[in-house]
Amino acid sequence: MPIGGSSPLVRPGAPGRTSGEDTTRQASHRATGAGSRRAARSERLAPYVLVAPAVLIILGLRLYPLILGVNFSFTGDGDRNGTTVGFDNYLELFDDPLFRTALGNVGLLVLLLPVAVAIPGLLATFIYLRVPGHRVFRSVYFFPAVLSPVIVGSIFNLMLAFDGPLNTVLGTIGIGPVDWLGDPDVTMFTVVGVHVWATFGMALVVFLAGFSTLDSSLLDAAQMDGASLARTIWHVVIPSLSRTIAFVLVTTMIGMLTSMFGLLYVMTSGGPEGSTYLPEYYIWIQQGQMNRPALASAASTVLFLIMLVVGLAQVGLLRRAGRQD
Amino acid sequence: MRGRRLSGWVAAVPMAALALATVYPLVFTANVALKTRREYVLDRFAPLNSPHWENIGTAWSEAGMARYFANSLLVVTVSVALLLLLGSMAGFALSRLRFRGSRVIFLGCLAALFVPFQVIMVPLARVMADTGLIDTYPGLILAYVAQWLPFTVFLMTSHYTTIPMEIVDAARIDGNTVYGVYRRIMIPLGTPALLSVGILDTLFCWNDVLIALLTMNSADHRTLMVGVTSLRGQYSDDIPTFASGVLIAAVPVLMIYLFLQRQIADGVTAGSTKG
Repeated sequence: MPIGGSSPLVRPGAPGRTSGEDTTRQASHRATGAGSRRAARSERLAPYVLVAPAVLIILGLRLYPLILGVNFSFTGDGDRNGTTVGFDNYLELFDDPLFRTALGNVGLLVLLLPVAVAIPGLLATFIYLRVPGHRVFRSVYFFPAVLSPVIVGSIFNLMLAFDGPLNTVLGTIGIGPVDWLGDPDVTMFTVVGVHVWATFGMALVVFLAGFSTLDSSLLDAAQMDGASLARTIWHVVIPSLSRTIAFVLVTTMIGMLTSMFGLLYVMTSGGPEGSTYLPEYYIWIQQGQMNRPALASAASTVLFLIMLVVGLAQVGLLRRAGRQD
Repeated sequence: MRGRRLSGWVAAVPMAALALATVYPLVFTANVALKTRREYVLDRFAPLNSPHWENIGTAWSEAGMARYFANSLLVVTVSVALLLLLGSMAGFALSRLRFRGSRVIFLGCLAALFVPFQVIMVPLARVMADTGLIDTYPGLILAYVAQWLPFTVFLMTSHYTTIPMEIVDAARIDGNTVYGVYRRIMIPLGTPALLSVGILDTLFCWNDVLIALLTMNSADHRTLMVGVTSLRGQYSDDIPTFASGVLIAAVPVLMIYLFLQRQIADGVTAGSTKG
């Protein structure tokens, strides 16, 4: 079995390739008899043995359920369990005010996305420009990113209580009190705010990695020309970091669509008045509480389509960013 | 120069305020956790007179955090060990061995990477119920491994691509089998990547609540994060004990953060520069 570089990540014609084939041939010439044939066979099968466990697990527990789920979504629940019902689940889904709220909230997340990306981007710019204390800021900002949404949610249940610390602070400057977790018009913003609090450190680190590839002579040139900070960011930083920005945009969007369950579960349970439902929470409720797996599967399929759109947008963004590089 | 320094301070003040807002919630929680119930009701903000460690003890034993902690420790340790073993094996084969189907397998891993758990959770629960894996430790471990294996394989593959073919060839000339190359070359040279991927996998598994809620229904099998969510109802009138439970669940990840911050950042950024 020749070892060589034909995997997608290795450049074709890597120098190791031909010599690899030669050495294997020599090695098999050296050994003789039935034992060596068995050894050669074992060598030929080795790559498959190495990938087999991973392939089986990913196929069986990730890709197969995906197909199974799409299938489920066209069957019935309860009495109609197992029978084909066409698009009934989807019709019911889009008729359900809770699911419509969930989709509306996805729209809200898309609108808030630029803010969620601009905050870490701006902070990373300042840290890159070495504001006083930049080292401390860098490590302090990152720490909530390692906390579980359950812990973050629990902490903020205390912080945002009606008589809690935040309202007390706001009270001293004459604002509020605000019912952060009880007012249907406010609560979704509260949850998104807490999510951003918990995750902006992640995006910050990615931005800083992008900055480290930035050509600092460009920044110096802008500085020499006397460009203001805002102009420098707009004309130098943003164009040079387009790849990083595209990456952060997409990962932040995926994060908002798929990792807010813990916060919703701990902080709001979808309330008040169902105002903080997201598709992932809706799926959980229909599956776990309402015993409607087929309806939940339909919601899963819709979420998957949303993610697919995000993914395709990612490809498009990265391609455009790549052209500008 | 002077102008730039001045504007630096202008930015530093709000940034310091934000840093305070980042740390304060945790400080507040720790402070509450060590108060008596009476102290909490009278003044929840005042700094401690003397810490009441007995709250931590109550949360640990009476509230069952010890049991949940042990469950999490077991499940996370086994899951991460399996993830690293299977991920490095597949990553080695996909990056440094030539075989029919390797490209399809790699693309399949990439595709799986973009399928979020919420999309497959209903059918996965069905599959696990049908195979008797639901509400068992092996079941949760398998679910975790399946969830983060595509990510692990992807990062290990891109790391192993940076190891020169010449090293692999030299080891082959010395008479190593493919497995020998894996054990003697790929594992030692992959250690930095295994460490940073392993830390991220540990955080993912330790912090998960959705998968554990879905696959472990009995109270005995709760993981730490599921345990924390159940504390809230149990101790709604005893906030210090509740805060103690939150603190117990947060301390391990805070330790990881304090000592291994750089490796976490490496793992997080690996996807952005190689993707």
